[in-house]
Amino acid sequence: MNEKIVFGQYYHTDSWIHRLDPRTKIIAVFLYMIALFVVKNVYLLGAFLLLALIVITTSKVPLIKFLNSLKMVSFILLFTFFFQLLLRKDGEQLAVFSFNMTIINALLIILLFILYFLSRRIIKSFRVLLLSIVLLISFYIQIKFDFSYLLFTYQVRIFDSGLIMSLYILLRIIALLFISSLLTLTTKPTDLNNGLEAILKPLKHIGVKVSTLTMMISIALRFIPTLINEAEKILKAQASRGVDFKEGKIGAKVMQIISLLVPMFVIAYKRAYDLADAMEARGFIPDAPRTNINLLRYRTSDYLTFGFSFALLVVTIYLRIFYAL
Amino acid sequence: MAINFRKVSYSYSALKKNKKVKFAVSDVNLEIAEKDEFIAIVGHTGSGKSTLVQLMNALLVPSLGEIDILGTTITPHAKVKLKPIRKQVGLVFQFPEYQLFEETSLKDITFGPKNFGIPTEEAIQKALDVARLVGLSDDILKKSPFAISGGEMRKVAIAGILASNPDILILDEPTVGLDPFGKSELLKLLKRINEEEHKTIIIITHDMEVVSQVAKRVIVLDNAKIVYDGDMKALFKNDEFLINHNLDYPEIMKLMRSLKERLGVDIDIYQYSIEEAYQELSRVLGD
Repeated sequence: MNEKIVFGQYYHTDSWIHRLDPRTKIIAVFLYMIALFVVKNVYLLGAFLLLALIVITTSKVPLIKFLNSLKMVSFILLFTFFFQLLLRKDGEQLAVFSFNMTIINALLIILLFILYFLSRRIIKSFRVLLLSIVLLISFYIQIKFDFSYLLFTYQVRIFDSGLIMSLYILLRIIALLFISSLLTLTTKPTDLNNGLEAILKPLKHIGVKVSTLTMMISIALRFIPTLINEAEKILKAQASRGVDFKEGKIGAKVMQIISLLVPMFVIAYKRAYDLADAMEARGFIPDAPRTNINLLRYRTSDYLTFGFSFALLVVTIYLRIFYAL
Repeated sequence: MAINFRKVSYSYSALKKNKKVKFAVSDVNLEIAEKDEFIAIVGHTGSGKSTLVQLMNALLVPSLGEIDILGTTITPHAKVKLKPIRKQVGLVFQFPEYQLFEETSLKDITFGPKNFGIPTEEAIQKALDVARLVGLSDDILKKSPFAISGGEMRKVAIAGILASNPDILILDEPTVGLDPFGKSELLKLLKRINEEEHKTIIIITHDMEVVSQVAKRVIVLDNAKIVYDGDMKALFKNDEFLINHNLDYPEIMKLMRSLKERLGVDIDIYQYSIEEAYQELSRVLGD
């Protein structure tokens, strides 16, 4: 409760990226992403990732923060990687692995998995890594040991197009995640919101209420920590009434979730009404023309970033059209 | 002893070597009896009161030291079943009306007992009993907990804890936000539970009126540490201590003090209830 909950991943240091105008950062990231989807060549994609890494090192944000964002999608990443690798069957064949599944092998693998599930209770982090090691060993056993009692054999063929495609997807997703994390790690949520408002301003002419929209976003962001606090209180209050959120059958689980959600809805609505009243009492009129307390201003570094990211996009499109890279 | 704290500290951030952490509760030794105690915990915002009571029903596990709660010992790492403890030590949170969620108030009161494994029939019977005890009419029990007044909601929430029949009852700022009538009613109820059923009751409060009216023992927390643990009446006689820790006197004592000064009569200003004050005044001024 007393632990301050910080929303977003903003990492406070001082680097040239931190000092950039949020509008610049949003547009540059946007351009980079478009370029990323234009590229067709794996080596060029590697260069894009390298570029992202270089920018990341200059941002003074520790690399571990970026790897954390990878951790969340690591499962999907591995899944798509192997899916592409194993199922694409065109181009040149690179390697063949033959696996022998014998009874002893099967028993060994089952033992390994039991060990893994037991270790889950003790080891809390790096579970995905551990699982992949376990999988790797179990496949290794099947290649290496050829005991009797053979159950069945199977072969896995790897083709070059499969390898290229899987690398391609892997690199693209990693680059995408890194660059978007860079934006959220180096820009405060409020700045991000201000930048977004400024960029979307032209939409006002076609009847989009940009300031109302961004106001909604900033209020939502502002209330996340408050609501997390409230949720913690409700969790504790219900725990005092015998709710054990860690165990229980499905029926009990549903009841537990209801006992959290209903009070949270009530609190959220009450807060919303209170806030609306408070804003109105202070003379807030939606969509009234107003100035921003933090004026956004472009500097030389902003223009350079703009120029560079725009050039990057132009070059990639050029390479795509004339060299099909 | 029902609850026994031995050198207990608690920090909301993880303890790390070579790193100073801020303790919300620091080095607390405390003994609380299972029966007949009425304890008020006072202290400023952020002094660790709420943390202390959450340690008492194992919502929080100590970072250092150990706590005995009705025969179960809780240490920083040992794994023990916490649910039975929460049944035996009922904790009513601040603004408990926000924890209501059921369709009817009656169902909400039975939610706790049912979670602790009491059969539905019995839980309903128990709920009706406590509803009568806290003064909720059948009419309110049938209504949605969101369709009744704030004071009634609080009664429903308190009944929800009482229905589990805890041995020890803890309330975090139970009188905040209640009107004077609701406040005095609640205090009367707590006093009755304490006197008739001999249950130990612990309340957190800022309100010295509440302290002087109901508490027998007072625990004063200041900056995560217990600075006073003892008799309520003795606390208010210790002027220097009260000033040092920015604690106020009850209104009745302030009145008696100013009467003593204005009238220049020799009266005993340490009176804790209106009746006592009246008797003292009539003793001095009656003739």
